[in-house]
Formats: sequence, structure tokens, C-alpha cells
Amino acid sequence: MTKDHKLREAHLCFYEKDIAEIDQELDGFLELSGARCALLVDRSGHMVTRRGTSLDGSLESVAALAAGSFSATREMARLLGEGEFNHLFHQGSRESIQISAVGDRSLFVIVFDDHSNLGLVRFYAEESSARLKEIFASISLQEDKGDGGLSDDFSSKATAALDELF
Amino acid sequence: MALAVKYHPGTKSPKSLERADMVQINFAKKQVNAKVVYYGPGMSGKTTNLEVIHQRAPEGNRGELTSISTEGDRTLFFDFMPLDLGTVAGMRTCFQIYTVPGQVYYSSTRKLVLQGVDGLIFVADSSPNMMEENLESLRDLAENLAEYGRSIEDMPLVIQYNKRDVPGALSIDELEEKLNPTGVPAFEAIANTGQGVFPTLKAVAASVLDSLHRQQGEVTGSGTCREGAEPGDEPQAAGQQAASASSTPMPVSAHEAPAHEHGPTSSASPTAGDGSSEAARPTIPMSQTGFHEAPSVPISQAGPAGVEEEVPPVTSASEEVSSQGLRMAPPQVASSGLQMKASEPVNPPAPAPQAPQAPQAPQPTHPVSQVQQPVAQSAVQTRTRRAKRPAQAAASTMEVEAGATAPKRRAPNSRSFPSSPAMPEARPTPKAKRNAMVTGVIIVASVLIGAILGSFVLSIL
Repeated sequence: MTKDHKLREAHLCFYEKDIAEIDQELDGFLELSGARCALLVDRSGHMVTRRGTSLDGSLESVAALAAGSFSATREMARLLGEGEFNHLFHQGSRESIQISAVGDRSLFVIVFDDHSNLGLVRFYAEESSARLKEIFASISLQEDKGDGGLSDDFSSKATAALDELF
Repeated sequence: MALAVKYHPGTKSPKSLERADMVQINFAKKQVNAKVVYYGPGMSGKTTNLEVIHQRAPEGNRGELTSISTEGDRTLFFDFMPLDLGTVAGMRTCFQIYTVPGQVYYSSTRKLVLQGVDGLIFVADSSPNMMEENLESLRDLAENLAEYGRSIEDMPLVIQYNKRDVPGALSIDELEEKLNPTGVPAFEAIANTGQGVFPTLKAVAASVLDSLHRQQGEVTGSGTCREGAEPGDEPQAAGQQAASASSTPMPVSAHEAPAHEHGPTSSASPTAGDGSSEAARPTIPMSQTGFHEAPSVPISQAGPAGVEEEVPPVTSASEEVSSQGLRMAPPQVASSGLQMKASEPVNPPAPAPQAPQAPQAPQPTHPVSQVQQPVAQSAVQTRTRRAKRPAQAAASTMEVEAGATAPKRRAPNSRSFPSSPAMPEARPTPKAKRNAMVTGVIIVASVLIGAILGSFVLSIL
């Protein structure tokens, strides 16, 4: 097992090329579906990447709440004897959100308005989710992209930054 | 729009994924994200800790405080706040701080919030008669972590003894003995006045960062971790290492330390650098916890003005399309009078060439070739299943597609986002497939119309 594989196993780790591939897929999805914004979020609530027009609110909060919301429905699914619900949809008067599972580690969060509709978004989201899953599977097997790692003094510098903050 | 879902033999099982620490390192965006969770019994002050952090963090470093709570200020799901440390060693470092609902009733909700946690702060209530609740919550924490295949001993964990100002508060010795048998770093606090809040946060942050660094060191062989040690194997050692690497007060284990010194001692510096004299204490009394008011002026190292602004301005394909007036239009009737039927979008023209492509795809690992055939079959099955989906969806969906297709028709390679050179193969885009489909429909319709017109003319003659 290479050092890169170990790093990827230890953490959710994305490199330049991974993000380029994912962004390309999200761009394609947005073009076809007419959705406003597409986020890729890990199940802990951290945002991996996003494409499309920006939202008014904090994207970090949207990502965290989407992950929480999806986790809650998964628990409901478990109580019903399901593994998990693959899609989650919140409908608003203007904006709506569709959340789809991408493999075991990520969520595909789509914000769309009346320029699109649920059928269209769901149709293309399902295809994009499958392709994103494929991308995740392939990048987990790829070698180091030469992006380097965290610098040796990262931990001490970050702690110093926190000291300075408070 | 064929799907070719590949199942790599080397892909980890969900269980092993859940076991993994989930610090997210995004080298593309130069970002490190870590998740810290405040845990503890109900009304012990977890949300108060977060509110104090939010109030006193510089504007540019704090995100929005999101709280899902009941009307009575009891947390219902979680509270959440991103805290941006700014750019550290070239990486934007961000802590996502969560709290959980404390009541016993919400155990399953607490478990959800623990998913992917990187560091824990256990907020114990020092009030008299709260020992049993504290112990129950600690047991609940261990059980919920175990559900994710993780152990409380392997986590960066800090304990905060809150409400030290309550009359008749439990003694530190008693709390330490019952709640902290493993001797993790512990701090006294009065969260509603802000005392002890930041030293606790700094300690867990240092522990998380050090844990991350040690694992990184293991991977890259940079020598920051002892040989053979497992990630998170020795959280106490991690804490001590973090303490030595920073100015954050980080007490040593109670087992390693002499008797606890309780009560105020003289003239601790009000800065965080006061930890130098605290190496021998199992807990940090409030008088020495280094609490001080947050600076009113944002520090120079503060990151970008806001989380929203930090995200680089992305001009996505959809934005480009929109600016050119080519954005997908709402449902409309095609001007030619030809309306696409519900079954048309899934006509096979597109998927057909996909199957032969599978063997051509560069597959670095030899076992993949053995699973190619099942993969191809599963792709076909998926397509078949998928073919019914649009028909089941509203017909209006298809009308949207038909209406949208006309203005978006372009040359097959005219997809507005750049094709990545890194892509292993040029896959027919969904748009190209749809264009081909629409072209076919138009040709057929033209022939039909021609035939009808011809017969009409003939009948007149």
C-alpha cells in the first residue's frame, strides 16, 4: 500500500486532479439540469467542492445541515428496515434542495429554482451520482499527484494561529 | 447516458470507511477541515460554550452560528459554527464546531452528529447531584462512538468541568476520579462568563491537529510519530505532544501527575502562554486557564472577510450558458410542432457505443479486467431500469427537455466547460447524445411530412 493510499484511508483527501474531475462532472450536471448550484459534501458535513451560482447563506452551514438532514433520514430508514434513503428532497416556494447519496462517504446537494424541476434534476442527479461514485472509486486507487502533504510545522503553526485568535 | 459503475476490488468496505478519521484535506482548494463536537449531559453548557466562541471570535474568522433548538433553548439536533483559523502553512484551516442535544431521549441524534468527528470536548456539569448524568452521558458517548467502530480512548478528547460557580459544586478530585480515569486533559470553566471556554477549545484543537500531523507523519515518514504506533493509539501522548508544540495549556494525565492543585494560584499570565507552569496539574483551574477577552480588532492573520467570500468565484458552465441566453428554458412547445414523447429521451442512440468502450478504458489494476463483464451487464441493466424513469416522471419534464434542447443544440464538442486533459477517455457527453437523438427525430419527422405533403399533392392532381 503506497503512502498515498494510507493518507486517503486515514483522511478524506482530495487532490487537484480529483477536484478537476468532480468539478467537470458537476458543471455538466448543472448545464443539463438547469439547477442553480451543486455541492459535493462529505458525510461529516464538510464541503468538498461546489459549482454554480452562489447562495445567499453560508455554504458551510448548508453543507453541515444537509449532511445532518441526510443522516437523520438514514436513521429513519434504518428504523423502517431500509438501508438508507438514497434521495432527499426539500421543496420551497422558490428554491428547492435535492440531496443524493454518492457512495459511502459523500453527498450530492443540488439547489434549484423554477428554471428547472424535480424530475429533470433527479434524472440527471442519479446519473451524475453514479459517475461521481465511479470517480471516487478510481481516485481512491490512484497514486500521489505530487501535491505534497501538510508541512512539518503545520500543527504547531495552526495551534499558534488559534492562540492568536483568542 | 450509460452508466458504467465499476466495483474495484480494492475499494474499502463501508465499515472501514466509518472507522477512518475524517479530517478532510483538500489539496486542490488548499483547505483542511476538522470536526469538533461538544458532548455532555443536558443543560451542562455545551451550547453556551459555542455561543461564547461565536461572540468573541473575530468577525472574519467565525461563520454563522446555526442552532436547531426548541423554543426552550434546548438543542434539538445540533448547533454548528465554522471557525476559520486562516491560512496556516499554506492551507486554509477550518474547524467545524458542533454541539449535541444532551437529553437522554436524543441518543440517536447525538450519534448522528458524531459521524466523522475528529475531536471531542466532554462538558461535565459540576452541579451537585449531576454525577450520575455525567457518567450516563460519558457511557452514551462511548457507546455511540463504538457504533462507528471507534473508541473513546483513541479520540482526541478534552474534558471541561463547567459550572464551577454553582454552590456546592462537586469537587474536582471527585469529578476527576469518576469521569477522567484515563487522565485526558481537563479544564475548569464557567461557560456563561466565558471562563475556561477558550483553553478547552485550544486544547482539543491542538490535540486534533497533532493527531492529524502524526498520521500524516506516519504516512510520509516525516518522523513525527513513533514507529509502529497506530493513529490515535495514544491520545494522551498526542495531547502532550501538542502541548509541547504550542503555547496552549495542556495538562498531563492524572495518573502521571502529582496531586491536583485546586484553587486559584497567583498571577497567571492572562495570555494563552501561561501553560508553561501547568505541566504538573491534571486540571487547569480557571484562574490559570488563560482566558482573556477576544481582541476587538481582527488580527492580522485573520482569513478572508467571510466564509462566503472565501469560495473562489466560480463561473460554472451553467452561468456561462445563462449569460449567453442559452439556459434551459421552462416548458415550451417546440416551434416545429414536434413534441418529444416521454419515451424518446431514453432512446438507445446514446448508450449503444458505451459498452465497447469499457474494455478500452485504461485500468491500472489487473483484477479490474476480471470484473469487466459483470460491470458491462450491470450497466445495461441500469440503463434499462433507468429508461422507464422519465416516463414515470411527469410528461412536463420531457417537454422541458424538448424545449430546452432546441436552443442548446450545438456542435457535439461544444460543451462549454473545458474538457479535462486528465480524463482517461473522451466519453460522449449526455448533450451530444441528446443532440444526436433530436437530429434523428427531426429527420424522421421531415420525411413523414414530405410524404404527407406528397400524397396530398398527388391526391389534388
